[in-house]
Amino acid sequence: MFYLHLRNELWKLFGKKRTYIGFGAFLIAQNGMLLMFRFTNWQKNWARLLAGNGYLAQDYLSALTVALVMLIPQIILLMPLYTALVGGDLVAKEAEDGTLRMILSRPISRFRLLFVKWLAGVIFSAVLVLALGGTALAFARIWFPWRGMFVYSLWPEHIFNLLSVGDGARLYLYSHLFMTINASTVVGLAFMFSCFNMKPAAATILALSFLFVNLVLEHLPFFEPYQEWFLLYHFRVWLLIFADPVPWERVAASLLILLAFNTTTFLIGAVAFQARDIKS
Amino acid sequence: MIDHAVIELKHVFKQFGKRTAVHDLSLTVPAGEIYGLLGHNGAGKSTAIGMMLGQVWPTSGEVTLFGHDVTVHRSQALRKIGAIFEAPAFYDYLSGRRNLEILSSYTAPTSRHRIEEVVEWVGLSGRENSKVKTYSHGMRARLALAQALLPNPEALILDEPGSGLDPEGIHEMRQTIQRLHRELGLTILLSSHLLHEVEQLCTRIAVLNQGHMVFEGTMASIRERAQWVRLKVGDFPSAVSTLRQAQLVSDARDGSLIALNTGVGTDQIVRTLVQSGMPVYEIAPDQASLESFYLSLMNGKREAN
Repeated sequence: MFYLHLRNELWKLFGKKRTYIGFGAFLIAQNGMLLMFRFTNWQKNWARLLAGNGYLAQDYLSALTVALVMLIPQIILLMPLYTALVGGDLVAKEAEDGTLRMILSRPISRFRLLFVKWLAGVIFSAVLVLALGGTALAFARIWFPWRGMFVYSLWPEHIFNLLSVGDGARLYLYSHLFMTINASTVVGLAFMFSCFNMKPAAATILALSFLFVNLVLEHLPFFEPYQEWFLLYHFRVWLLIFADPVPWERVAASLLILLAFNTTTFLIGAVAFQARDIKS
Repeated sequence: MIDHAVIELKHVFKQFGKRTAVHDLSLTVPAGEIYGLLGHNGAGKSTAIGMMLGQVWPTSGEVTLFGHDVTVHRSQALRKIGAIFEAPAFYDYLSGRRNLEILSSYTAPTSRHRIEEVVEWVGLSGRENSKVKTYSHGMRARLALAQALLPNPEALILDEPGSGLDPEGIHEMRQTIQRLHRELGLTILLSSHLLHEVEQLCTRIAVLNQGHMVFEGTMASIRERAQWVRLKVGDFPSAVSTLRQAQLVSDARDGSLIALNTGVGTDQIVRTLVQSGMPVYEIAPDQASLESFYLSLMNGKREAN
């Protein structure tokens, strides 16, 4: 029965055209960035940076390097927007459309219904992240060779690292697990709001506002000593695994905090959903 | 017919903030009945149905389906129930069949054969694989019926099922409800403000007014309640005045109906009027319609307030 309910949620989620709008937006953004990297001074600047540090640009300006360059802004800017949109829809859209009332005239517990919806949200996050990473790499491979990986980032984390093609590919793959956790956290946050009696757009806006307030506060000098209190600080672990050495202690702590955050948002949502009246 | 209660509400209250939507509602829907829930908009019908289906939490009181408290043992209580709502909602971007698979699976896994059987029963064969967004209003109503019937329910709760349908659709829905009762032996609770529909279908009704139940009884008892006589004369007010002077009638209304005093027959009425020089064109007992009963009930409550 649990499998059937999960299958239902996936049918509903992936049967909607709007589910794919975000995928399309990502593809356009990826290709835009790829063209910019290829045909502007961006590529030359990176080649100069590598040469200045004693490395041959031709060895490291590769598909893996460019794929990561394309992913960083997308994961920071586009992914929260899109996952909040999907998370905000999960419960509130069904309540708004009236299909929730149809479901809740059936002998299914509200908790189970919520749990399968949340799980569908997590699966969606994984699919989105894998598609995002896969297409970024595929598009980058069209223009760039399959060679070593150069990781260079000034924000949100300062990272400078050079990796062999094997290590780079392995870390690129691992980073998707952490990106999925980030995406699930945003889905879970919007999902929590959508469990309350509100419109789907309101749930999405609240989730994005929460992230935006986090981002602003985190960068205020006053809050610098309290950075680990902010959610976005913990979202950066996906990028940290490219650092040398990897700060495993911080990665583990962030993962635990994200796990606790996910559990908390789910439970708050479940309690709110359990207590509310479902009316037409 | 079985004589146990399928749906039972005992002293149920529901408050939304300071507003009491349902006030001390107690009703019993016995097995095998077509039970009508009547009331104006905002009378509390949908809230009562929401509480029966475990979608709205009662502030106090007890709601049981097949003997199971729906707030405590939701799964057992709703296992043998199907429901249809006003303007049924579906996943429009999916096919009718997929909608049926999704909705029925929340009760139990349903075989392909059972889906085909129900699709044929409701008359949707050939269109079940089309997307719901291409369905007409009538087809959506049939799909709603199909999803309610799929888990083999013993009782159906219908919340304004005729709402939004054209006269042909309403007629079809009425015939379908009669078929469901006759062929499948289902107990049906029907909420509606289409009095004609309720009158033709229901064996028992409850009338809600501002959250209070103001009447509960069988349709037969309503028909027997008021013994009105339909009288057609040239000048109805003069005829009533004459009959009142002769102490033959106690009340008159609607320009053609008179209530006879106890022991008075229609022959006396005719004789009195003819002797007073008033020709009588027609006189016959009037069977109280649900509409007249409902309106008199509502007017009575309005005057009492």
